[in-house]
Amino acid sequence: MSQRDVLAELRAARVAAPAEVRERVLAVAAAAPPEQKRFTWRRAVVVLVPVAAAVAAAVVLSQPTHRAAVTTRTLVEHGAVAGQALRSAASPKAYDALTVPTTQQRVQQVGTYLSLRTRSVSDGVKRAVRIASSLGGYAVSVHADLQRADLTLKVPRTHVQQAMTRLSALGTITSESVDIEDRTAGLNATDRLIARLRAQLRTATPREAPKLIARIKALQRGEAAMRRSAHYATVSLHLETPHAAVHKHHRGPLHGVGVALRWLGIGAVYALALGGPVALALVLVWLAVRTVRRRREDALLSRP
Amino acid sequence: MTFQQAAEAHLDDVYGYLAWFTSDRFAAEELTGVTFERALRLWHRYDPDRGSARTWLCQVARTVALDHFRSERRRTRREELAAPPEAVDFRFAEGLSPDLETALARLSAGEREVVALRVLLDLDAGAAARVLGISPTNCTTRLNRALKKLEEALHVAA
Repeated sequence: MSQRDVLAELRAARVAAPAEVRERVLAVAAAAPPEQKRFTWRRAVVVLVPVAAAVAAAVVLSQPTHRAAVTTRTLVEHGAVAGQALRSAASPKAYDALTVPTTQQRVQQVGTYLSLRTRSVSDGVKRAVRIASSLGGYAVSVHADLQRADLTLKVPRTHVQQAMTRLSALGTITSESVDIEDRTAGLNATDRLIARLRAQLRTATPREAPKLIARIKALQRGEAAMRRSAHYATVSLHLETPHAAVHKHHRGPLHGVGVALRWLGIGAVYALALGGPVALALVLVWLAVRTVRRRREDALLSRP
Repeated sequence: MTFQQAAEAHLDDVYGYLAWFTSDRFAAEELTGVTFERALRLWHRYDPDRGSARTWLCQVARTVALDHFRSERRRTRREELAAPPEAVDFRFAEGLSPDLETALARLSAGEREVVALRVLLDLDAGAAARVLGISPTNCTTRLNRALKKLEEALHVAA
């Protein structure tokens, strides 16, 4: 008998379940509860993915753009005498140059910060340095590229208001602040201490005198340094082109999606680095278990 | 398809598969009942997109049969020490020649299983492989091996 004949005979064979088995199975089937709508992952995904996309789109598109945030940003830092910082709301339009409330009779350390948007950073840097020079000041440091520049200028305190006015004309002010610290009280105290030391010097023994003289000279040197540094105000100037400002501040409506994707990417890399070996170990264990199970099954089914 | 419809449509297939697999009528009858009871409990997991109800019922039947084989092996190990098992007269199907019945009985349970799925139930290689948990190629190889054994046994008998 050929293999074809064997197959034909086997195919012709029919096996029917005995009546009692049929009865039992049909009784079991009759007890089955009515079919309910089944929850499947496919159905859930079909519903959830569009809903999630719609929610994400609504969140992203409803966020205000940063361009709007820039125009409505109204806080300007104002300097305060004796180191007290005050903040107040300024005009929502382009800012005017701040008034620097310095007093010539008092010794004050003045620091100002000015941020401008200008068409040409290179021209702005040159003109800022010229303004500082023309007012008797100088540039301490300049860091510039094609789109941004940061300058530190020293300007005589007497001309700081003039410097701020002229520098602010180099572009549109985006931010500014003034910080004034009054040192007069400290200097007066030093003067009184020097006077006391001089009085002591008059009655001092020849052994004490050199110490007192040295201390008086040190105090005088410190006082002179303080007055010299207070002579100049520090002007920190930041310049940037509108293009750079847009790149820095303006974020499109899909910026949030980009950020989310970036973090997802970072998370994926971490998950891959940490979870990869674990996943590999789990796969190896699974393969080993499957192999053992199959061998046992084969052994179980190898007998007639 | 409801469970009731599936049970009515595939009862004979499941019984035939189990009868050939176990080569024991009484065991097949019992296991068929157990299979459908278990299938009823698991029916919510059945996904028509992943395969036919017949294939799924055969998978359940196979799990039930493997449990039976395991418990049977433990039992026979104990009992064979006391008394050797009696030979049970079993007919695989109506219309088979006695030589083919004998040849089928000499096949291993694993070989009879693949013959039952591919020939008796006429499942394609993919569906049969899914029931057996192996690849379709492996399934075809097993079938060829089993048929060759049958052919050789019949040749010897002739």
